[in-house]
Amino acid sequence: MKIIVAIKQVPERDAQVRIDSSGKWIEEADLQFAMNESDAYALEEALQLKEKHGGEVVVLSAGPERAGTTIREALAKGADRAIHVEVDDLHKRDALGAAQLLAAAVKPESPDLILTGLQSDDLGYGQTGVIMAELLGLPHATLILQVEKTDTGLTVKRELEEGWFQNIELPMPAVLMIQSGGTKLRYATLMGIKKAKTKELRKVNAAELGQASASTAALEKITLPQKQKSTQIIPGSAKEAAATLVEKLKFEVRIL
Amino acid sequence: MSGVYVILEDRGGRISRISWEAVAAANIVSAQSGTKATAVVIGAHTDALAKEASTRGVSKVVRIEHPLLAQYTSDGFTAALEEFTRAESPDYLVFPHSYQVRDYVPALAARLGRVLIGDVTAIGDGPVFTRQLMQGRLSGNYKSAGNGPCFLSVQSGAFRADAGESAAAESSTFTPTIDAAQIRTKPGEPFRGTAQTVDLGSAQLIVAVGRGIREADNLPLVQDLAAALGAEVAASRPICDNGWLPIERQVGSSGQTVAPKLYLAVGISGAIQHLVGMKGAQCIVAINKDAEAPIFEVADYGIVGDLFEVVPALTEAIKATKQ
Amino acid sequence: MNLLSATLAEPQSFSPWEKLLLVVLIVASGALFWKRFGPILKKILNSRKDAGFTISPVGKRVWDFFWEVLCQAKVIRERPLPGLAHAFVFWGFCAFALVTLNHLAVGLGMGFLDPQGIVGRFYFYLAAAFAIACAAGIFGLFVRRFFIRPRWLGNKVSYESGVIALLIFLLMVTYLAAFAVTDSSPTARILWWTHTLSLLIFLPIIPHTKHLHLVLSPATIFLSRGGFSKIPPLVGDEDFGLVTGTDLTQLVSLQAYSCVECGRCSEHCPATNTGKELNPKEIILGLRGYLNEFGPASQESLIGKFNSMTADFQCTTCGSCEYQCPVGIEHLPIIIGLRRGAVNTGKWEDDHGAKLFLALERGSNALGMGALERDKFIQKQEFPIFDGTQEYCLWLGCMGGYDPKGREIVADFARVMNYLGTSYGILRKEKCTGDPVRRLGNDLLFQQLAESNLEALAQNKVKKIVSICPHCVRTIQEDWKEFGTPPEIEHHSEFLARFADKLPNQRSSNSAATEKIAYHDPCYLGRYRNVYEQPRTVAGLAGEVVEAPRSHERSFCCGAGGGLAFLGEEKGDRVSHTRANELVATGASTIGTACPFCNTMFRDALSATGTGAPQLLDIAQLTARGLPRNIPVKTEQP
Repeated sequence: MKIIVAIKQVPERDAQVRIDSSGKWIEEADLQFAMNESDAYALEEALQLKEKHGGEVVVLSAGPERAGTTIREALAKGADRAIHVEVDDLHKRDALGAAQLLAAAVKPESPDLILTGLQSDDLGYGQTGVIMAELLGLPHATLILQVEKTDTGLTVKRELEEGWFQNIELPMPAVLMIQSGGTKLRYATLMGIKKAKTKELRKVNAAELGQASASTAALEKITLPQKQKSTQIIPGSAKEAAATLVEKLKFEVRIL
Repeated sequence: MSGVYVILEDRGGRISRISWEAVAAANIVSAQSGTKATAVVIGAHTDALAKEASTRGVSKVVRIEHPLLAQYTSDGFTAALEEFTRAESPDYLVFPHSYQVRDYVPALAARLGRVLIGDVTAIGDGPVFTRQLMQGRLSGNYKSAGNGPCFLSVQSGAFRADAGESAAAESSTFTPTIDAAQIRTKPGEPFRGTAQTVDLGSAQLIVAVGRGIREADNLPLVQDLAAALGAEVAASRPICDNGWLPIERQVGSSGQTVAPKLYLAVGISGAIQHLVGMKGAQCIVAINKDAEAPIFEVADYGIVGDLFEVVPALTEAIKATKQ
Repeated sequence: MNLLSATLAEPQSFSPWEKLLLVVLIVASGALFWKRFGPILKKILNSRKDAGFTISPVGKRVWDFFWEVLCQAKVIRERPLPGLAHAFVFWGFCAFALVTLNHLAVGLGMGFLDPQGIVGRFYFYLAAAFAIACAAGIFGLFVRRFFIRPRWLGNKVSYESGVIALLIFLLMVTYLAAFAVTDSSPTARILWWTHTLSLLIFLPIIPHTKHLHLVLSPATIFLSRGGFSKIPPLVGDEDFGLVTGTDLTQLVSLQAYSCVECGRCSEHCPATNTGKELNPKEIILGLRGYLNEFGPASQESLIGKFNSMTADFQCTTCGSCEYQCPVGIEHLPIIIGLRRGAVNTGKWEDDHGAKLFLALERGSNALGMGALERDKFIQKQEFPIFDGTQEYCLWLGCMGGYDPKGREIVADFARVMNYLGTSYGILRKEKCTGDPVRRLGNDLLFQQLAESNLEALAQNKVKKIVSICPHCVRTIQEDWKEFGTPPEIEHHSEFLARFADKLPNQRSSNSAATEKIAYHDPCYLGRYRNVYEQPRTVAGLAGEVVEAPRSHERSFCCGAGGGLAFLGEEKGDRVSHTRANELVATGASTIGTACPFCNTMFRDALSATGTGAPQLLDIAQLTARGLPRNIPVKTEQP
């Protein structure tokens, strides 16, 4: 089984982010970066499938030079080789632009399966995998927690709203967007990192893969959201506080 | 042709609640040209859905019907809406940001050379669409560019649905051409997680109880609250140590790690061993009679009070709001 | 018979057959000895060389040899009566060196010590005194092992120990009896041959049993690694710790063969004491078994027939084992080495362990909390931020930065520092020192954390650090050395003790009203750093310090060390509860701690006790209690 896992390097989860001088992106200078969380689950799923069915896991990532660290982390965890699409202004592309880049890199590989994380921790579009499937003409499924190979293709477990699940059958090749938490992640080991040094990491310049179409959803400006996160102590009698809390759960938290 | 179309979602034979919020959002956009949005329902038999939609503040209802649309599939819905969009050339296609929408609308937009502006939390003049970046730490303002329909989906709870009823709108039917061979995925019947095993790790709503509950006999108080919310019950370590709840329900450094949308901590002080198990929750609500309890440091909302009064009141309030 | 005129009887002449027989027996005995000892020596020498091992400082080695081998100090101190008995046996052996040589020489007609001469007489009388002590000692030890049967010596009766005891006893008795007979009597000859046979049977038995320590342990003690829990660096790209036989180094092999199975390590091990699988003695004997079966060149995994991975990961790294060992075995580098082998190769699969590693791969602290939480704490307390101008950097650590109780300790200590007028600041960002991953054997993560921290500290121009956590202190001062030069660091008890005369003395004049404080020695402050008196001085200002039954170097672990605070539920009795009960039983109204991990573990344990549990306070909190009200964490500059 040849599996391609698309991963993204994103700012560390609890990094303090500041808006840069252009007002259209964040100041990257002071930041620490890490692998996008749901991508780590996609990678884990791929590695487990390889352990079960044999084959090859290829890591694919688009990003600037610093993304190399995250790619090597993926190699250290067990991926066999990697493709780094070098692009400095990934954040300027919309989901279609990013997917076009990745799809172009994937096409010559003819994989059996493409796994991506559900959404990125920075832009959070959650669309790249679906668009890749469309561009490559492949079937897809999203919010996947478990993947099983069958004689006819794949059976996957998909998460639905409100605690429901659904199994879907689809043929290979296919694209799956993997939800966080479906499996247990493995940690990076010293042995893995040493082995990773000899694994192939092929660099491709974004320009070689074709021009992106003009963005149809332009990110005009970035602002700080009005609300700052702090503890709201709800006053009043038990009944009053309960009523206020329910209101907040409905309209601020949006879960009722 | 142009106009604002809002695609309503079928949830077990009825229109889903968040679809009405999408209607409200769509009407904000259409208000800029002094009109109301057109509702779209999709399925194999859309009578009931169309009827439901007709009185909810829309100018028209379009029924996209085809036997192959009986069950949701990405291929089916994408093909149907693509044909419809090419035929009608709408300016805007508004969706609720549901799991279903995330599954097919990006592909649909891509097919038409566009991109979905997803999970929108506010619509300003322009229109300018606001969505969250960096997991809510920043907001981004987006504008639609180029020729072609603007696809947008709106976040649950970001827009308040219009409560009132309006005069029944007219409906029309659109029958797309879909071939069975086009549909490549076979979805199964939805099911719940196995009843025996407690999977707190994937629970979206959790009510957790700590030593403030004092006795095992008082647990039903918390269990009622959980039932009203549709939440799983969890506990801090002392509760499980005493055998009042099974060890699978323990949250903390030596128990489960959870990351639900809502974590309601009842009578839990917030010792570090417990915190590390639930700090990933998106929203933490704490009820404790000690105003200095460390749990309030991490809570988004807190009620300082006697849980024996607050919890029953909360259960009542939740039941009332769900009716 | 007049005692004072008695001399050692030696048969005057041996027939050529007897001499021949003697030579044959000596050669046979020696050959049998070498047959067993040779391969062992070879295995030790063929093991991998220890990287970074140096003979210097020789002075310390010589002192340790003198004190622990010659004076038997550790042997006696930790188990006084049996220790003394053993010391007599040992000293007897030393005193008998010349006796034995002379004895055999006599058999060949070449005796060089004249029993009638002044020197001979004196020496033989001296040896006789030692012989009496030795015989008494070995008799007492025999009774202890076979009749009293202490738990730590194991359930099985060791027949070989009985045989050895008998032989030693015979050697002494035959020697002493020779004073009561004359040279020419047939009894003298019988005694002489009995003594000789005992000797020549004893010799080859040595390498076949744990009595090999006679030969090895002086070398083992002299060749120690040169520090408590000294973890060796990994060498080259293929070194992942102790994975297979090829990873066993000369020191490890030497130590494995030196074990006397005395069980002192197990006796004090918190895991063994609470019914866990881990038994430090079994780990060392397991390595010996491995070496015997597979040897040092084997690719067979160390974890398997002779070592249990479960047991390896139950160790809190408290160090009691290494501290107690009388023959110089260093358990900690071995256990951590085995953990390294399992973790660096990914063999160890543990949900909680993986969670800890992933938390540190992606974030800054071992608890997996968002760094924003630490920022909020700093802002709320209005701590001064370290900017290179202050004297001290106050290091929060993971517990001080994120644990509610740890934060209280930090805040109180900050107040005391401000009261003393010490300039200090807190770093804006901290990463975990890496202590838990270091002890669990994850070298990849540890290196990343150490290097990142060292760089940050250098950039921030940190010269002196003070910390409330002994784990941070140890890791920064010792373990980071492998990757750079860490700044000076001390524990807050050392800092406070220096200012003891400036701190408020809360002891009321009425001693009946004085609070009793049971102080618990943290492993990483006590055994690891030898800091025992300073925290007592500080606690003593707040109340009367009472000692738990096991204190100072014998302090019983709280159970959090070795990364175990981050792993899952313990099996069997909880280490923390065991120790907490012991502290509560002192009757003290307060338990004093000096480590945020001990504090958190006891908090858990005491909450199970319910009402009536003693207070639990860190020495910083005890001190701050005595300050004038409302001392802030910093004084605003005018």
